Order: sequence, then C-alpha cells, then structure tokens
Amino acid sequence: MRKVFWLVLLGSLVTAAVAAAATFRVVTEEGAIRKDRKFFAPVVTRVPYGEVLQEQGRKGDWLMVSYKGRLGWIHKSAVQEQKVDWSSVSGGRAAETTRDEVALAGKGFTPEVEKSLRGKDPKMRYDLVNRVESYRLSDGQVENFIRAGNLREPGGEP
Amino acid sequence: MKSRTLFVLMTAALTLLAGCAEIVQVGTAAGEGAGVLSPEDREIINRQAQSIAQAARPMTEKEEYYLGRGVAAAILGRYRLQADSRRNEYLNSIGRTIALSSDKPYVYGGYHFAVLDTDEVNAMACPGGLILISRGMLQRAGSEEEVAAIIAHEVGHVVNRDGVKAISAARWSQVVTSLGTDAAGRYGGKELADLTTLFEGSVTDVFKTIVVNGYSQEQEKTADENAMLYMRRAGYDPYGLPDFLARLAREQQGGDRRGFFSTHPGMTERLQLARSFLAAKAWRRTDHAARDQRFNAYRW
Repeated sequence: MRKVFWLVLLGSLVTAAVAAAATFRVVTEEGAIRKDRKFFAPVVTRVPYGEVLQEQGRKGDWLMVSYKGRLGWIHKSAVQEQKVDWSSVSGGRAAETTRDEVALAGKGFTPEVEKSLRGKDPKMRYDLVNRVESYRLSDGQVENFIRAGNLREPGGEP
Repeated sequence: MKSRTLFVLMTAALTLLAGCAEIVQVGTAAGEGAGVLSPEDREIINRQAQSIAQAARPMTEKEEYYLGRGVAAAILGRYRLQADSRRNEYLNSIGRTIALSSDKPYVYGGYHFAVLDTDEVNAMACPGGLILISRGMLQRAGSEEEVAAIIAHEVGHVVNRDGVKAISAARWSQVVTSLGTDAAGRYGGKELADLTTLFEGSVTDVFKTIVVNGYSQEQEKTADENAMLYMRRAGYDPYGLPDFLARLAREQQGGDRRGFFSTHPGMTERLQLARSFLAAKAWRRTDHAARDQRFNAYRW
C-alpha cells in the first residue's frame, strides 16, 4: 500500500513538471497577441501582466499561444516560461528555474515601496517620470517612420 | 521511521535538489490529501521552499521597472525635461525602431525616451527602459544615424541589465532576505520602512554608477557592439556609432573632462574598438540620404 502511495506521488510530480513545460506568463504590463509573427501585425487580443498562456507552437522568436479561446503569436521577450528544467538540478542553477514573476509580484520593489519613497523624498520627480512614460507611439506611427526612412522591418536578420 | 517524518524529509530533500517551490507545493498538497502531512507541516515545508527560492532569486522585470522609475525620478530631480513634442516624437520613433531590433524588444513598461534640457553631454539608461539623453549630447549628433547610435548604446545597457548590476550584492541580498513570506500587500510598518530604505539605497547605487562613476570599460564595449548590431538589424548604418565616437574623442582630446567625458573615459579606445568590430564583421557603410533629409528638419 505504501509503495503504491509513493508511485502515485512520483507520478503526480512528473505530470506536474510536464504540464508546466508548455505554460507561459506575460511579464510586460500588457502583452499583445498578434495575428502573425510580426511586430506590426494586427493585435488579436491584449493580455494583462501575469496571465497564463498555453503554448501551441513556436517559430523563431515567436510563440503561438492561446488565451481565452483566442489564438495568435506573442514575442518571447514578453513572456516567461513556467518550466521546470530538470537538467539544471545537478548543475547548481536551480534558482533560475524557480524565478516566477507572478509569485514575486507583490514582493521586493513594488508600487507600495515606491509610494513610501515618494512620501519620504520630495526631490524625487515622479511627476516627470509619468510624463516621460506618457510619450507613446502607435504601431502604425513606428511602421510609417520605418518605411519613410528606408529602414528595415524589425524581426529579420539583415 | 514513521511515514510522516519520512515524507517531510524526502520533500525537503527534493526542495534542495530541485529548488522548486511549485513542485514542493504539489507534493505537500498530495501529502496532506493522503493524510500523511498535517496542514501545519505543509505550511512549514512551503515556507522553507519559498525562502530557498527567494534567497538566490534575480530581480524580476517588474521590480526592475520600479527601480528604473526611481532612478529616473532622481535624475529628473536634477535636470529639466525638454518640452518639445515634435522632437520627442522623432526621438521616440528612432528609439522604438532600435528597441524592436534589439535582443529585448519588449520590457515591462515599454521603452521611453526623453531629452534633458542641459548643455552637458550625457545619456543615461535607467533600468527597465527609460532613457534620458541631454540636449548637449543630441546637439553634437550630425545625422539620424548618430542619434540612433546614442540610443542603441543605451538600449544595449538596458538589455544587459547593467543598471541592475550596479546594485551592491550585499544590498540585494538584504532585500531578498528581509522579505517575509506573507502574501502581497501585507507589509508591516517596519518591514515597509526597511524595504523603502533598501529601495532608496538601490536607486542611489544605480544613480551613482550612471551619473557619477560610469560603467566598466567592458560594459561600454559590449553596449557599443550591441548598438552596432541593433543598428544594422534596423537598417541604420552601423558606422553612425564610430562617426559619433570620433566627434566625442576629438572633444575629449581637446581637454573636456566634464560630465559624460568623466564617466566615459577613453573615447579614442572605444572608437578604435568599434572600428575593429566593424572591420571584423566586414560590414560596409550604407546609404542614409532619406534619413539625413528628415534629420535636418528635427536637429537639436
């Protein structure tokens, strides 16, 4: 009976690891899932920070993912793989495999800590930081700028 | 040995081997479900797993973003921001173009570029993608390629997380170990005060490095090489970088040791390294007539 319990436990651990291999989390404030593997492709849906995406395929730097029934492509730099890398267990780099943005999202340097510092040091010009962050360009504006300057569409090697 | 004790020991061993809090939580849930572990045992093991995972954790993307905002807030406490929406749009267009061709096109809060209204020559990459460039620096650029080179170099620092690396290891270790294992938003008064002091110290570490002391020569070399790579990918002439470095080297040789020239010594060496890099790659100069024309309408 005891042997059966250990086998079931081992099985559940392996299953958990395999299931985790195809899961990604969005690590930008807002991720864009696009129709094609291109930076300016139409956006199928937008995904908030921390949401889980299921991998459906991979090509180059892009992942095909599904989110709430919508299918599309997201760039690898906008997500973090929620994968257990067993090969690293004996290599001493186990900490890398446990880095989970969302589990740590409420810890360390947070908006709460920023607010506390703002109250402490009035010389910190967060109002100007917010102004700088408000400078935003649409995909269309950047695409037109690239075309008008005879530049290259991003994503391909020259 | 009782099965309960054995389970606790084996799960702890698995934690140390795999360093994986997620797997331990699955295991402890299974143990609790099977009646081998009490809820208290499960809590102890999970807390232990979390502290092990945290002890060696790197900074998250979101934390890097908040650090960068802090560094930018400190810089903007010293310099005025140039309010010129037309040139801001031009600068951000070049910046976004370069960032999309970098090794990290997306960062938590996106890349943003702004001009500091000062004659000083300087450019500063805050962690997370906020990049501040002085008017004095941009006034020295003779083409859009050279502005792209300034930006690409700073994006290189963001991609390499050079700002984050400026935080002393001892301070980051304190940040990690000072954190409780409680859930988000439950900092006590003392815990928040301690963390705010550590945050302030981290902002100062990065500020001192990028504004006062400068990065190491190796970090500058890597940022230059990445800059030329990103420029080429984006369709800019990578020779824009050595062209701009040559201007600065001439000025530095003329005796200017203020601001940028103090945090970026050895411009001549950097120029030589950049030229050698391009020669080794056998990349040729490319045409930029269309961009030269539009640059004239925006030049600082």
